Amino acid sequence: MSKIPKQPEKKDNLKQKYRTDENFAFKSVIISFILGCIFFIISLLFNTEVITIFMNREIIWTFIDVLIKTIVVLLFFLFIITSFANYKEVIGKRLNWKDLLLIILLSIGQTILNSLVFIFTFIGLIIIVIYLFLIQEF
Amino acid sequence: MILFSLFFSSNGYCATEEINSKFGETPVIDGEIDLSSKEWSKAVKITTKLDDLDINLWVMQDYSNLYISVQIDLELAYHNATEFVGIIISNSSSEAKEEFIDAKIVQFSNILEDAFNFFDYYINNSIFFNDTVYNGDGAAKLEGLTSTYEFSLPINNLNGNEEDVELNFEGSYAFNITYGDRPIYPSGVKKSGIFLINIKELSTSTPSILKLILYIISIIIFSVLGAFLGFYMYKIFRLKKKIEKFKR
Repeated sequence: MSKIPKQPEKKDNLKQKYRTDENFAFKSVIISFILGCIFFIISLLFNTEVITIFMNREIIWTFIDVLIKTIVVLLFFLFIITSFANYKEVIGKRLNWKDLLLIILLSIGQTILNSLVFIFTFIGLIIIVIYLFLIQEF
Repeated sequence: MILFSLFFSSNGYCATEEINSKFGETPVIDGEIDLSSKEWSKAVKITTKLDDLDINLWVMQDYSNLYISVQIDLELAYHNATEFVGIIISNSSSEAKEEFIDAKIVQFSNILEDAFNFFDYYINNSIFFNDTVYNGDGAAKLEGLTSTYEFSLPINNLNGNEEDVELNFEGSYAFNITYGDRPIYPSGVKKSGIFLINIKELSTSTPSILKLILYIISIIIFSVLGAFLGFYMYKIFRLKKKIEKFKR
């Protein structure tokens, strides 16, 4: 029978798991950040009205216009919050309410030129924040 | 030119829709809507009917003119070479026939060559008389199946000219929009519809100042966000270096 204790092997496994989790989290930080930046650029072009696709000929086009602008900002928020939360996790901290509030303000701030986009984005952000709050492990 | 009328057969009309005009950037009256320059982007846009003819009607104003655009989608075979769109303006919001004393008409002489003329008439006892001085402007163009007519009508700028209706800020006026296929007025009119247009007051410059402030705030927010993302990217690179160092 072996007299070598099995403890170090367990520790090695834990270390390995921690490293894999860390790698995954860091990968997520980068990928989410890149996607967040892409949606930031799209939002910049659409929400500052640098690009106007639709001339609002009919109400359906107005709706599509508002929908695109809203979805772009919500996706920006989702990816940046994912990236930032994972970044905080990698450095051993937790996302606090100040960080969350800052990102919410910077997201909603993108929509101030269009009241309809502002309202829909605000509602969307509330839903996402409630969802993120509910899936937290306490 | 005097053309006799069969047009006004009743004592009045019934307005179908009321439109509140909006302020927007001055469009070029050339019968073409330039999407890239956001022309007419601020206009009130409705899809409506002149009798049974579907049209897109756009209305907006700036500080000197009221702008009306009418777009008609028809199969090419149904576009008449000499079709026209006319705007017959009432002295007030009244739809009584004797109140409609001014007509602006954009008349194609050959629609396939985009050849058109703008006419300004005054109406007396249902007879159309050419104005001695033309006020306003109009243009038209056929693109694909859509013929686009654009009109500009001066606001508060007639100086006592009795041949035209003097449009005033904050005023409500009945507009009879007509479509016809022969250059004879009004017997060439085939379709028509009355719209009540409310011209916005002049002192509504506050929204544009508000808009400018919102633009500035928006630029600041996007700049802050850009700086935040730049700083965050720097932090990520630093973290990456730290992790690599730690692994070694």
